[in-house]
Amino acid sequence: MSDLRLDATQLDRYSRHVIMDEIGPEGQQRLLDASVLVVGAGGLGSPAIQYLAAAGVGRLGIVDDDVVERSNLQRQIVHGDDDVGRPKVESAADYVTALNPDIDVEPHETRITAANVADLVDEYDVVLDASDNFATRYLLNDHCVLTGTALSHGAIYRFEGQVTFFTNERSSKAADEDADAPPCYRCIFPEAPEPGTVPDCATTGVLGVLPGTVGCIQATEVVKYILGKGEVLEGRLLMYDAMDMTFETVDVLANPSCPVCSDDPEIESVEDVAYEGSCQISAD
Amino acid sequence: MPTEWKLFADLAERAGDKHVTVDAGAGDTVGAALTELVDDRPDLEGRVLTDDGELRSQINVLRNGTNVLVEEEGLETELEEGDELALFPPVSGG
Repeated sequence: MSDLRLDATQLDRYSRHVIMDEIGPEGQQRLLDASVLVVGAGGLGSPAIQYLAAAGVGRLGIVDDDVVERSNLQRQIVHGDDDVGRPKVESAADYVTALNPDIDVEPHETRITAANVADLVDEYDVVLDASDNFATRYLLNDHCVLTGTALSHGAIYRFEGQVTFFTNERSSKAADEDADAPPCYRCIFPEAPEPGTVPDCATTGVLGVLPGTVGCIQATEVVKYILGKGEVLEGRLLMYDAMDMTFETVDVLANPSCPVCSDDPEIESVEDVAYEGSCQISAD
Repeated sequence: MPTEWKLFADLAERAGDKHVTVDAGAGDTVGAALTELVDDRPDLEGRVLTDDGELRSQINVLRNGTNVLVEEEGLETELEEGDELALFPPVSGG
Protein backbone atom coordinates (compact mmCIF):
# COMPACT_ATOMS: atom_id res chain seq x y z
CA MET A 1 0.00 0.00 0.00
CA SER A 2 1.18 3.51 -0.76
CA ASP A 3 2.13 5.83 2.07
CA LEU A 4 -0.80 8.13 2.61
CA ARG A 5 0.31 11.69 2.17
CA LEU A 6 -2.92 13.43 1.17
CA ASP A 7 -3.03 16.96 2.58
CA ALA A 8 -6.21 18.84 3.45
CA THR A 9 -6.48 20.45 0.02
CA GLN A 10 -6.08 17.09 -1.70
CA LEU A 11 -8.66 15.46 0.58
CA ASP A 12 -11.04 18.22 -0.50
CA ARG A 13 -10.14 18.17 -4.22
CA TYR A 14 -10.41 14.37 -4.49
CA SER A 15 -13.16 13.91 -1.90
CA ARG A 16 -15.56 12.27 -4.38
CA HIS A 17 -12.91 9.64 -5.05
CA VAL A 18 -11.83 9.30 -1.44
CA ILE A 19 -15.32 8.53 -0.13
CA MET A 20 -15.77 5.58 -2.47
CA ASP A 21 -14.82 2.16 -1.11
CA GLU A 22 -13.33 1.18 -4.47
CA ILE A 23 -10.87 4.09 -4.38
CA GLY A 24 -10.52 5.60 -0.92
CA PRO A 25 -7.44 7.53 0.21
CA GLU A 26 -5.20 4.61 -0.78
CA GLY A 27 -6.50 4.60 -4.35
CA GLN A 28 -6.15 8.34 -4.63
CA GLN A 29 -2.58 8.07 -3.42
CA ARG A 30 -1.94 5.45 -6.12
CA LEU A 31 -3.18 7.89 -8.73
CA LEU A 32 -0.98 10.67 -7.34
CA ASP A 33 2.02 8.33 -7.38
CA ALA A 34 1.36 7.17 -10.96
CA SER A 35 2.77 8.43 -14.25
CA VAL A 36 1.10 8.30 -17.66
CA LEU A 37 2.44 9.25 -21.08
CA VAL A 38 -0.22 10.54 -23.46
CA VAL A 39 1.00 10.29 -27.06
CA GLY A 40 -0.92 12.88 -29.06
CA ALA A 41 -2.56 16.06 -27.76
CA GLY A 42 -5.34 16.04 -30.35
CA GLY A 43 -8.89 14.70 -30.39
CA LEU A 44 -8.31 11.62 -28.23
CA GLY A 45 -5.54 13.16 -26.16
CA SER A 46 -7.55 16.22 -25.16
CA PRO A 47 -10.22 14.53 -23.02
CA ALA A 48 -7.75 11.93 -21.79
CA ILE A 49 -5.35 14.62 -20.58
CA GLN A 50 -8.17 16.56 -18.97
CA TYR A 51 -9.61 13.64 -17.02
CA LEU A 52 -6.27 12.13 -16.04
CA ALA A 53 -5.18 15.52 -14.73
CA ALA A 54 -8.47 16.06 -12.92
CA ALA A 55 -8.23 12.57 -11.40
CA GLY A 56 -4.86 13.45 -9.93
CA VAL A 57 -2.50 11.26 -11.97
CA GLY A 58 0.63 12.73 -10.45
CA ARG A 59 2.96 12.86 -13.44
CA LEU A 60 1.58 13.40 -16.91
CA GLY A 61 3.80 13.35 -20.00
CA ILE A 62 2.42 14.70 -23.26
CA VAL A 63 4.06 14.01 -26.63
CA ASP A 64 3.17 15.89 -29.81
CA ASP A 65 5.15 17.71 -32.48
CA ASP A 66 2.26 19.71 -33.94
CA VAL A 67 1.00 23.23 -33.41
CA VAL A 68 -2.64 24.08 -32.80
CA GLU A 69 -4.64 24.87 -35.93
CA ARG A 70 -8.07 26.49 -35.97
CA SER A 71 -9.55 23.37 -37.62
CA ASN A 72 -8.46 21.37 -34.55
CA LEU A 73 -10.72 23.28 -32.18
CA GLN A 74 -13.94 21.51 -33.25
CA ARG A 75 -12.76 18.46 -31.27
CA GLN A 76 -9.38 19.08 -29.58
CA ILE A 77 -10.89 20.69 -26.50
CA VAL A 78 -7.75 21.07 -24.43
CA HIS A 79 -6.81 23.95 -26.76
CA GLY A 80 -8.53 27.32 -27.17
CA ASP A 81 -8.76 29.97 -29.83
CA ASP A 82 -5.84 31.92 -28.36
CA ASP A 83 -3.65 28.80 -28.69
CA VAL A 84 -3.75 28.71 -32.48
CA GLY A 85 -0.16 28.58 -33.67
CA ARG A 86 1.24 27.41 -30.31
CA PRO A 87 2.79 23.97 -29.83
CA LYS A 88 0.06 21.59 -28.72
CA VAL A 89 2.14 20.28 -25.83
CA GLU A 90 2.51 23.82 -24.43
CA SER A 91 -1.17 24.57 -24.74
CA ALA A 92 -2.11 21.24 -23.16
CA ALA A 93 0.42 21.67 -20.35
CA ASP A 94 -1.00 25.11 -19.53
CA TYR A 95 -4.48 23.60 -19.36
CA VAL A 96 -3.30 20.90 -16.94
CA THR A 97 -1.50 23.37 -14.68
CA ALA A 98 -4.55 25.63 -14.55
CA LEU A 99 -6.86 22.69 -13.80
CA ASN A 100 -4.76 20.93 -11.19
CA PRO A 101 -1.50 22.29 -9.78
CA ASP A 102 -0.90 18.87 -8.14
CA ILE A 103 0.20 17.48 -11.47
CA ASP A 104 3.77 17.42 -12.71
CA VAL A 105 3.15 17.92 -16.42
CA GLU A 106 5.97 17.11 -18.81
CA PRO A 107 5.56 18.38 -22.38
CA HIS A 108 7.66 16.61 -25.03
CA GLU A 109 7.52 18.59 -28.26
CA THR A 110 8.74 15.88 -30.58
CA ARG A 111 7.55 13.09 -32.84
CA ILE A 112 7.89 9.68 -31.25
CA THR A 113 10.21 7.46 -33.31
CA ALA A 114 12.07 4.18 -32.99
CA ALA A 115 15.12 6.23 -31.98
CA ASN A 116 13.49 8.04 -29.03
CA VAL A 117 10.63 5.75 -27.99
CA ALA A 118 12.58 4.14 -25.15
CA ASP A 119 13.70 7.48 -23.71
CA LEU A 120 10.12 8.76 -23.73
CA VAL A 121 8.08 5.71 -22.74
CA ASP A 122 10.32 4.07 -20.18
CA GLU A 123 9.89 6.96 -17.75
CA TYR A 124 6.18 6.23 -17.35
CA ASP A 125 3.94 3.51 -15.85
CA VAL A 126 1.28 3.54 -18.57
CA VAL A 127 1.05 4.80 -22.17
CA LEU A 128 -2.17 6.18 -23.65
CA ASP A 129 -2.09 6.01 -27.44
CA ALA A 130 -3.91 9.07 -28.76
CA SER A 131 -1.88 9.27 -31.94
CA ASP A 132 -3.31 9.74 -35.42
CA ASN A 133 -1.28 7.41 -37.61
CA PHE A 134 -0.48 3.72 -37.97
CA ALA A 135 3.30 4.18 -37.77
CA THR A 136 3.08 5.57 -34.22
CA ARG A 137 0.46 3.03 -33.18
CA TYR A 138 2.56 0.02 -34.27
CA LEU A 139 5.72 1.54 -32.78
CA LEU A 140 4.03 2.08 -29.40
CA ASN A 141 2.55 -1.42 -29.45
CA ASP A 142 5.85 -3.07 -30.25
CA HIS A 143 7.83 -1.09 -27.68
CA CYS A 144 5.22 -1.61 -24.96
CA VAL A 145 5.11 -5.36 -25.66
CA LEU A 146 8.91 -5.62 -25.57
CA THR A 147 9.14 -3.66 -22.30
CA GLY A 148 5.97 -4.96 -20.61
CA THR A 149 4.41 -1.49 -20.46
CA ALA A 150 0.62 -1.10 -20.22
CA LEU A 151 -0.95 0.56 -23.27
CA SER A 152 -4.40 2.11 -23.61
CA HIS A 153 -5.49 2.00 -27.25
CA GLY A 154 -8.10 4.17 -28.92
CA ALA A 155 -8.62 5.11 -32.57
CA ILE A 156 -11.35 6.83 -34.55
CA TYR A 157 -12.75 7.06 -38.07
CA ARG A 158 -15.52 9.53 -39.01
CA PHE A 159 -18.36 8.33 -36.69
CA GLU A 160 -16.71 5.15 -35.31
CA GLY A 161 -14.20 4.34 -32.62
CA GLN A 162 -12.18 1.33 -31.45
CA VAL A 163 -10.90 0.97 -27.88
CA THR A 164 -8.96 -1.73 -26.05
CA PHE A 165 -6.32 -2.08 -23.35
CA PHE A 166 -3.11 -4.08 -23.31
CA THR A 167 -1.60 -4.79 -19.89
CA ASN A 168 1.37 -6.49 -21.59
CA GLU A 169 1.76 -8.58 -18.42
CA ARG A 170 2.98 -11.74 -20.13
CA SER A 171 5.52 -13.09 -17.67
CA SER A 172 3.08 -13.08 -14.75
CA LYS A 173 0.35 -14.65 -16.91
CA ALA A 174 2.80 -17.29 -18.15
CA ALA A 175 3.36 -18.36 -14.56
CA ASP A 176 -0.36 -19.01 -14.22
CA GLU A 177 -1.13 -21.95 -16.48
CA ASP A 178 -4.86 -21.27 -16.31
CA ALA A 179 -4.52 -17.69 -17.53
CA ASP A 180 -4.86 -16.91 -21.21
CA ALA A 181 -1.95 -14.98 -22.69
CA PRO A 182 -3.02 -11.39 -23.27
CA PRO A 183 -3.20 -10.16 -26.87
CA CYS A 184 -1.41 -7.15 -28.35
CA TYR A 185 -2.40 -4.82 -31.18
CA ARG A 186 -0.54 -6.96 -33.72
CA CYS A 187 -2.52 -10.02 -32.61
CA ILE A 188 -5.61 -8.23 -33.92
CA PHE A 189 -4.03 -6.40 -36.84
CA PRO A 190 -0.65 -8.00 -37.71
CA GLU A 191 0.26 -5.29 -40.23
CA ALA A 192 -0.96 -1.81 -41.06
CA PRO A 193 -2.92 -1.13 -44.24
CA GLU A 194 -0.78 -0.07 -47.17
CA PRO A 195 -0.02 3.65 -46.91
CA GLY A 196 -2.64 5.70 -48.72
CA THR A 197 -5.36 3.03 -48.67
CA VAL A 198 -7.20 4.40 -45.61
CA PRO A 199 -8.11 8.10 -45.70
CA ASP A 200 -7.35 10.25 -42.64
CA CYS A 201 -9.54 12.67 -40.67
CA ALA A 202 -8.40 15.64 -42.77
CA THR A 203 -9.77 13.88 -45.85
CA THR A 204 -12.91 12.22 -44.49
CA GLY A 205 -13.86 14.53 -41.63
CA VAL A 206 -14.65 13.38 -38.10
CA LEU A 207 -17.56 14.01 -35.75
CA GLY A 208 -16.13 16.44 -33.18
CA VAL A 209 -17.58 14.75 -30.10
CA LEU A 210 -16.46 11.25 -31.21
CA PRO A 211 -12.88 11.43 -29.86
CA GLY A 212 -14.35 12.83 -26.64
CA THR A 213 -16.21 9.58 -26.01
CA VAL A 214 -13.33 7.36 -27.08
CA GLY A 215 -10.64 9.35 -25.24
CA CYS A 216 -12.73 9.29 -22.06
CA ILE A 217 -13.02 5.50 -22.27
CA GLN A 218 -9.25 5.27 -22.72
CA ALA A 219 -8.74 7.46 -19.64
CA THR A 220 -11.26 5.35 -17.70
CA GLU A 221 -9.25 2.22 -18.43
CA VAL A 222 -6.00 3.88 -17.36
CA VAL A 223 -7.50 5.03 -14.06
CA LYS A 224 -8.91 1.53 -13.37
CA TYR A 225 -5.57 -0.05 -14.25
CA ILE A 226 -3.70 2.25 -11.87
CA LEU A 227 -6.24 1.58 -9.13
CA GLY A 228 -6.16 -2.16 -9.79
CA LYS A 229 -9.96 -2.18 -9.77
CA GLY A 230 -12.60 -3.48 -12.13
CA GLU A 231 -12.20 -5.33 -15.41
CA VAL A 232 -10.05 -3.50 -17.94
CA LEU A 233 -10.78 -3.90 -21.65
CA GLU A 234 -8.10 -6.52 -22.10
CA GLY A 235 -8.89 -9.28 -24.57
CA ARG A 236 -11.87 -7.28 -25.79
CA LEU A 237 -12.12 -4.70 -28.56
CA LEU A 238 -14.92 -2.19 -28.06
CA MET A 239 -16.32 -0.84 -31.29
CA TYR A 240 -18.42 2.31 -30.92
CA ASP A 241 -20.69 3.65 -33.66
CA ALA A 242 -21.84 7.16 -32.80
CA MET A 243 -24.29 7.33 -35.69
CA ASP A 244 -26.15 4.17 -34.64
CA MET A 245 -25.26 4.75 -30.95
CA THR A 246 -24.11 1.17 -30.55
CA PHE A 247 -21.28 -0.35 -28.55
CA GLU A 248 -20.17 -3.82 -29.63
CA THR A 249 -17.49 -5.81 -27.85
CA VAL A 250 -15.53 -8.45 -29.72
CA ASP A 251 -13.27 -10.92 -27.93
CA VAL A 252 -9.69 -10.67 -29.15
CA LEU A 253 -7.22 -13.43 -28.37
CA ALA A 254 -3.46 -13.68 -28.38
CA ASN A 255 -2.18 -14.92 -31.73
CA PRO A 256 0.30 -17.79 -31.13
CA SER A 257 2.21 -16.64 -34.22
CA CYS A 258 2.07 -12.92 -33.44
CA PRO A 259 5.18 -11.24 -34.85
CA VAL A 260 5.92 -9.42 -31.59
CA CYS A 261 4.25 -11.01 -28.54
CA SER A 262 4.47 -14.73 -29.35
CA ASP A 263 7.02 -17.02 -27.70
CA ASP A 264 9.28 -16.87 -30.76
CA PRO A 265 8.76 -13.36 -32.13
CA GLU A 266 10.09 -12.02 -35.42
CA ILE A 267 10.32 -8.57 -33.86
CA GLU A 268 12.84 -8.41 -31.03
CA SER A 269 13.54 -4.69 -31.33
CA VAL A 270 11.70 -1.71 -32.80
CA GLU A 271 14.78 -1.28 -34.99
CA ASP A 272 13.60 -4.41 -36.88
CA VAL A 273 10.51 -2.68 -38.25
CA ALA A 274 9.90 -0.23 -41.11
CA TYR A 275 7.22 1.86 -39.39
CA GLU A 276 6.63 4.30 -42.21
CA GLY A 277 5.34 1.56 -44.54
CA SER A 278 3.00 -1.24 -43.50
CA CYS A 279 4.84 -1.65 -40.19
CA GLN A 280 6.31 -4.96 -41.34
CA ILE A 281 9.70 -6.43 -40.58
CA SER A 282 12.39 -4.63 -42.57
CA ALA A 283 13.67 -6.54 -45.58
CA ASP A 284 17.29 -5.67 -44.81
CA MET B 1 -31.36 -18.04 -47.02
CA PRO B 2 -29.35 -14.83 -47.50
CA THR B 3 -26.63 -13.75 -45.07
CA GLU B 4 -25.92 -10.20 -43.97
CA TRP B 5 -22.46 -8.68 -43.75
CA LYS B 6 -21.89 -5.77 -41.40
CA LEU B 7 -19.04 -3.51 -42.47
CA PHE B 8 -17.03 -1.17 -40.27
CA ALA B 9 -15.15 2.08 -40.91
CA ASP B 10 -13.79 2.67 -44.42
CA LEU B 11 -15.07 -0.71 -45.59
CA ALA B 12 -18.65 0.55 -45.24
CA GLU B 13 -17.77 3.65 -47.23
CA ARG B 14 -16.23 1.61 -50.03
CA ALA B 15 -19.24 -0.71 -50.09
CA GLY B 16 -21.69 2.21 -49.97
CA ASP B 17 -23.53 0.71 -46.98
CA LYS B 18 -22.90 -0.66 -43.49
CA HIS B 19 -25.06 -3.70 -44.23
CA VAL B 20 -24.87 -5.83 -47.36
CA THR B 21 -26.93 -8.97 -47.90
CA VAL B 22 -25.40 -11.71 -50.03
CA ASP B 23 -26.67 -14.91 -51.54
CA ALA B 24 -24.91 -17.40 -49.28
CA GLY B 25 -26.32 -19.36 -46.39
CA ALA B 26 -26.28 -22.51 -44.29
CA GLY B 27 -23.82 -25.02 -45.69
CA ASP B 28 -21.80 -22.42 -47.57
CA THR B 29 -18.47 -21.23 -46.18
CA VAL B 30 -17.57 -17.80 -44.84
CA GLY B 31 -15.16 -17.56 -47.77
CA ALA B 32 -18.01 -18.11 -50.23
CA ALA B 33 -19.99 -15.35 -48.53
CA LEU B 34 -16.92 -13.10 -48.77
CA THR B 35 -16.61 -13.82 -52.49
CA GLU B 36 -20.27 -12.92 -52.94
CA LEU B 37 -19.69 -9.69 -51.02
CA VAL B 38 -16.70 -8.65 -53.10
CA ASP B 39 -18.49 -9.55 -56.32
CA ASP B 40 -21.45 -7.43 -55.25
CA ARG B 41 -19.31 -4.50 -54.01
CA PRO B 42 -16.16 -4.56 -56.17
CA ASP B 43 -14.71 -1.40 -54.56
CA LEU B 44 -13.96 -3.59 -51.54
CA GLU B 45 -11.75 -6.02 -53.42
CA GLY B 46 -8.38 -4.25 -53.29
CA ARG B 47 -8.91 -3.17 -49.68
CA VAL B 48 -9.94 -6.61 -48.42
CA LEU B 49 -8.00 -9.01 -50.66
CA THR B 50 -4.37 -9.06 -51.79
CA ASP B 51 -3.41 -9.25 -55.46
CA ASP B 52 -3.28 -13.03 -54.94
CA GLY B 53 -6.86 -13.08 -53.69
CA GLU B 54 -5.86 -13.77 -50.09
CA LEU B 55 -7.57 -11.96 -47.22
CA ARG B 56 -5.41 -9.03 -46.08
CA SER B 57 -3.92 -9.69 -42.65
CA GLN B 58 -5.38 -6.56 -41.05
CA ILE B 59 -8.97 -7.44 -42.01
CA ASN B 60 -10.85 -9.34 -39.32
CA VAL B 61 -13.81 -11.57 -40.10
CA LEU B 62 -16.47 -12.17 -37.48
CA ARG B 63 -19.26 -14.73 -37.43
CA ASN B 64 -21.85 -13.85 -34.78
CA GLY B 65 -19.18 -11.75 -33.03
CA THR B 66 -16.53 -14.48 -33.04
CA ASN B 67 -13.34 -14.06 -35.02
CA VAL B 68 -13.36 -16.95 -37.49
CA LEU B 69 -9.65 -16.52 -38.20
CA VAL B 70 -8.68 -17.10 -34.57
CA GLU B 71 -11.41 -19.17 -33.00
CA GLU B 72 -12.98 -21.05 -35.91
CA GLU B 73 -11.89 -22.55 -39.22
CA GLY B 74 -11.08 -19.29 -40.96
CA LEU B 75 -12.71 -18.74 -44.32
CA GLU B 76 -13.53 -22.48 -44.40
CA THR B 77 -15.90 -22.01 -41.45
CA GLU B 78 -19.33 -23.28 -42.44
CA LEU B 79 -22.29 -20.96 -42.13
CA GLU B 80 -25.35 -21.83 -40.11
CA GLU B 81 -28.82 -20.44 -40.59
CA GLY B 82 -29.20 -16.92 -39.23
CA ASP B 83 -25.46 -16.20 -39.00
CA GLU B 84 -24.35 -12.58 -39.05
CA LEU B 85 -20.98 -11.80 -40.58
CA ALA B 86 -18.81 -8.74 -40.09
CA LEU B 87 -15.59 -7.30 -41.47
CA PHE B 88 -13.56 -4.82 -39.47
CA PRO B 89 -10.27 -3.12 -40.27
CA PRO B 90 -7.95 -1.10 -38.03
CA VAL B 91 -8.50 2.66 -37.91
CA SER B 92 -5.84 5.18 -37.02
CA GLY B 93 -7.48 8.55 -36.43
CA GLY B 94 -6.88 10.37 -33.21
